[in-house]
Amino acid sequence: MHLFLMIGLVAFSILAVLTRDLLRSAICLAVASVFLALVFFRMNAVYAGVFEVSVVAGLITVLFITAIALTRGDQEVAENKHHMLVFPFFFLFLIVFDILVMRKLLGRIPAIAGSEAGTFGEVLWNQRTFDLVGQIGVIFAGVLAVLALFRQGENPRKGDTTLPGGQPQGGSSHE
Amino acid sequence: MNNLWILNMGFVALLIGTGIYCLLTMKNAVKLLIGLEIIAKGVTLALVASGYARNNILAAQSLAITVIVVDVAVIATALAIIININRHTKSLDVRKLTKLKG
Repeated sequence: MHLFLMIGLVAFSILAVLTRDLLRSAICLAVASVFLALVFFRMNAVYAGVFEVSVVAGLITVLFITAIALTRGDQEVAENKHHMLVFPFFFLFLIVFDILVMRKLLGRIPAIAGSEAGTFGEVLWNQRTFDLVGQIGVIFAGVLAVLALFRQGENPRKGDTTLPGGQPQGGSSHE
Repeated sequence: MNNLWILNMGFVALLIGTGIYCLLTMKNAVKLLIGLEIIAKGVTLALVASGYARNNILAAQSLAITVIVVDVAVIATALAIIININRHTKSLDVRKLTKLKG
């Protein structure tokens, strides 16, 4: 089951990269997030799984689809023609390299540490207090950045538009 | 438990490799962000899998949630930048971003 979930995660990630249509790519990414959340649930990481489903599979997908909808019609980008041919060789090389490295690691992992006490809330609040403050700062920074980027420029008044040479265009006549 | 950790790390390497391939070969700005998102998935999986293998799942989850929050802020800001660039260049092609002039 675990292997099936992992294979699904990697397969949908690869589909998200190789699919030409951006909307399908975003949906494949959301499905990969759901697979990752199921892996987290199987590892008893319930809170991380809930965050993965709600934030990554939900919010980020909505953000991607909004951006794709706002840029509709301008999405035709000439990609490299050979990347579909190169990817299988690249992936095969990656798998072989991966197996070789992981075989070297077998039996060299340190022993398992003792289990930690307390609840998730206690660990989050007592051990990672500064992380929480940093997360709040990051969220505010992101919101302010998006607001700054979508700020509408001041509309020029009628008659105040200037020509490239600096001469006023239209407006009041001197005669 | 250790063998499961090694299996998980193998898949983490595949995810990060796929994301790096996407970043290196794609020219579409939204596709580049998708590659970044796949790398972030690999990092989150590595954190949680290591916590699971070492019986420190609570601390690993808190770190994973930190990564997810930072990732959301990065993606939101980057998509806003891409939409603004699209208004200027009428394209999502990163090869057309050769001018700093607004």
